Amino acid sequence: MSIVIEAQNLKRCYGSGVTLVAAVNDVSFSIEQGEFTAIIGPSGSGKSTLLNLIGGLDQPDAGRVLLQGQDIATMTGNAISDFRRDHIGFIFQAYNLIPVLSAHENIEYIMLLQGVPTLNRQARVLEMLELVGLSGLGHRRPSELSGGQQQRVAVARAMASQPDIILADEPTANLDSKTGAGLLDLMRDLNAAHGLTFLFSTHDQMIMERAQRLVHIKDGILEQDETR
Amino acid sequence: MLLIQLAWRNLFRNGRRTFLTCLLLTSSLVVIILMDGLILGMLGVMVGGITQTLEGEAQIYKAGFRDRFDSTLYLESPQSILNVLNQDETLLAYAPRVVVPAVIGSSYNTLGGMVYGVDPEKEAATSRLRQALIEGEYLSDKPRALLMGRLMAEKLEIGIGDRVVLTASAVDNNELVQGLFRVSGIVQFGPKELDESFVFIHIKGAQALFQLGDGLHQIALRFKDFEDANRSDLALASKIEGENIEFKGWLALQPGIGAMLEMTSYSTLIIGTVLFLFASLGVINAIFMSIYERLYELAIAKAIGTRPAFIGGLIVLEAFGLALISCSIGLPIAYCLMTYFAGSGLPLGGNIEFSGVVLGGRLYPELALHQFVQFPVYVILLTLVAAIYPALFAARITPARSLQKAL
Ligand SMILES: Nc1ncnc2c1ncn2[C@@H]1O[C@H](COP(=O)(O)OP(=O)(O)OP(=O)(O)O)[C@@H](O)[C@H]1O
Ligand SMILES: [Mg+2]
Repeated sequence: MSIVIEAQNLKRCYGSGVTLVAAVNDVSFSIEQGEFTAIIGPSGSGKSTLLNLIGGLDQPDAGRVLLQGQDIATMTGNAISDFRRDHIGFIFQAYNLIPVLSAHENIEYIMLLQGVPTLNRQARVLEMLELVGLSGLGHRRPSELSGGQQQRVAVARAMASQPDIILADEPTANLDSKTGAGLLDLMRDLNAAHGLTFLFSTHDQMIMERAQRLVHIKDGILEQDETR
Repeated sequence: MLLIQLAWRNLFRNGRRTFLTCLLLTSSLVVIILMDGLILGMLGVMVGGITQTLEGEAQIYKAGFRDRFDSTLYLESPQSILNVLNQDETLLAYAPRVVVPAVIGSSYNTLGGMVYGVDPEKEAATSRLRQALIEGEYLSDKPRALLMGRLMAEKLEIGIGDRVVLTASAVDNNELVQGLFRVSGIVQFGPKELDESFVFIHIKGAQALFQLGDGLHQIALRFKDFEDANRSDLALASKIEGENIEFKGWLALQPGIGAMLEMTSYSTLIIGTVLFLFASLGVINAIFMSIYERLYELAIAKAIGTRPAFIGGLIVLEAFGLALISCSIGLPIAYCLMTYFAGSGLPLGGNIEFSGVVLGGRLYPELALHQFVQFPVYVILLTLVAAIYPALFAARITPARSLQKAL
C-alpha cells in the first residue's frame, strides 16, 4: 500500500511564556491509501489542532506534512487553497454547507472551483447524492435538511472533488448516537467500496469500534497507534 | 457566474439590513440630486435675474464707459455695429441705449439718477422693462413720456401724469440741457438700486436732449443660447470688438456672478462629500456586520479550497449589488421628485434678495443629465471603495481560527 499522507515531528504551540501550550508535540505518523483511521483522545488533547495541520488549515511551528511528497506546511496563498481543493476533503463538526446554496449546489460548488465541465459535474453530483442516500433531496437548502442529512451532504461534497484523503473533525459530535452511527456506517461503506481514505477525530466510543486503526493522543503527544 | 449567484442570494438573506443599507444609499442619491437641482435652479434665477432685468447677456460699449458711466464715452457712429447685429444668427434681440446721469426734479423734490434712453420695442425684447410696469402705460412714440422707478416716484411724491424735469449737461459741450417730461408709467424691478434711481425715456428724445446725434452709450444683447454670451471664440464678438469698442459677456460684466457660481459649486461638492462620507461609513458597517455573521461559513468555504480573491470578490460584488439596487430605486424617485418640483416649485416662504437679485415665491429645481449619470456613478464607486477594506478582511480569514472561534 502507498502512503497518502505523512506527518513528521509536527509541533504546534499556542500562547507564549508561562502560558505556552504545546497543543501538538512532536507527532509523527503516516496514513496509507484506503485506511479508516480515528484520532482519539480526551477534550483538549490536540485532535483538532493535529487535523488542521494535516489539512493545511494551520501551519506547524516545527515538522512537516508530506502529501505525495509535497510539503503542505510551506505552502501559502492560492497554492495552499488550490491544494486543499484538489487533494483534501473536509468534513467539520456542523454547519458544513453554504446556507444560500442547495444540497446539489453545495456539492457542485467545489467542482466549480476545480473547473470540472458542466456535464460531468451534474452527473457526479447526482452520483454523490445517491451514494450518501439523498437522491431526490438535492434541491433542498441546508436549513431544510436534518443535521444527519447535512453531514451526508458534507460527505458527498468531500468526495466530489476526488481528494486523496478525507479529514473529518468530530463529524458526529452534533448528531444523536443513532444518526451518528448511520453516518459512520456510510463512511465505512464508502471506504470499503471505493477505497476512500478517511482520517477523523473523535472521542466517541461508537466510532472507535468502527475504526480500523486508532491513533491515541493525549496532551499533544502520540501515545499509542494500534491497527486492528 | 457562481460568484454572482452567491452574491445575489447573500444580499437577500438579511433583508432588513439590505433594505436599510439601500435606504441609506438611495436617500443620499436622491438628496444630492435634489440639492444639485435646487442649486442649478437658484443659479439660473440669479443669472437670469441679473442678465434679463436690464444688463443683458452681453454689452457693447465704448472702452472705459462702464468704469464710471462717463457719458462722454459713446459710440459715435453705431450704424455699422447695428448692421452686424441685424444680420447675426445667434442673437435673439438687442437694445440700443443712451445712458446719462441727470438731476430729476418734481415740484416737491429733486434726486440724482440715471436717464436711460431706450427703443421701446427692442427694449421689450431684451430686458424686463415692459414686464416691470406696474402702473400706467409703457413707452410709445409719444415724445414726452417717461417711466420711473417706484421708489423714486415715492420720494419725488409724484404719480402718473405728473411733470418731471430732467437736468443734465450736454454730452459734447458742457452746456446745461433741460427737458420736461410726464410720468406715463411706474416700473418696479425688485432690486432697490434700480427702483430708486432709474428713469426711462424714448431713445430719440434722449439723443436730441443730450445732443448725441445717432450716438449710443450701450447696446445690450440677448442670445438664443445664453451660454454663447461668455464664449471666448464668439464670432460676433470678434466682428464688433475693435479700437475703443468693447464686447463683454455677462461673466465679464459681473465678475461677482462668476465667483458666486464657483462658490456654489464648491458648496455642492462639500455637502456631497460629507453626505457620501456618512453613507459610506454606513455601508462599511453593514458589510462588516454581514461578514461577521458569516464568519464560520466563509471559513468553511475557504477551508475546502476557495481562493482568498474569490471571497474578497464576493464581498465587493455584494456591495456592487447593493449600489445597483439603490440606484435603480433612487433614480426613479429622484426623477419623479425633480419633475414634480420643477413643475410646481418649492415654496421659499418670502422674498430673498441676493446679490441684487430677488428670489421670490418659489424655487424651481433644474433637471440635468449629469445628475442622473454622474451621481449614480459616484454612488457605485463610493460603495465599491467602501467595500475594499471589508473585502480584504474577509479574504484574509484564517479558517482554523475562525472555525474554532465561531462554534
Ligand atoms: N487558538 C488557541 N489559542 C490558545 N490555545 C489553544 C487554541 N486552540 C487550541 N488551544 C489549546 O490547544 C489544546 C488542544 O486543543 P484542540 O482544540 O486541538 O483539542 P481537541 O482535542 O480538538 O479538543 P476537543 O475534543 O474539545 O475538540 C487545548 O489545550 C487548547 O486549550
Ligand atoms: Mg476539537
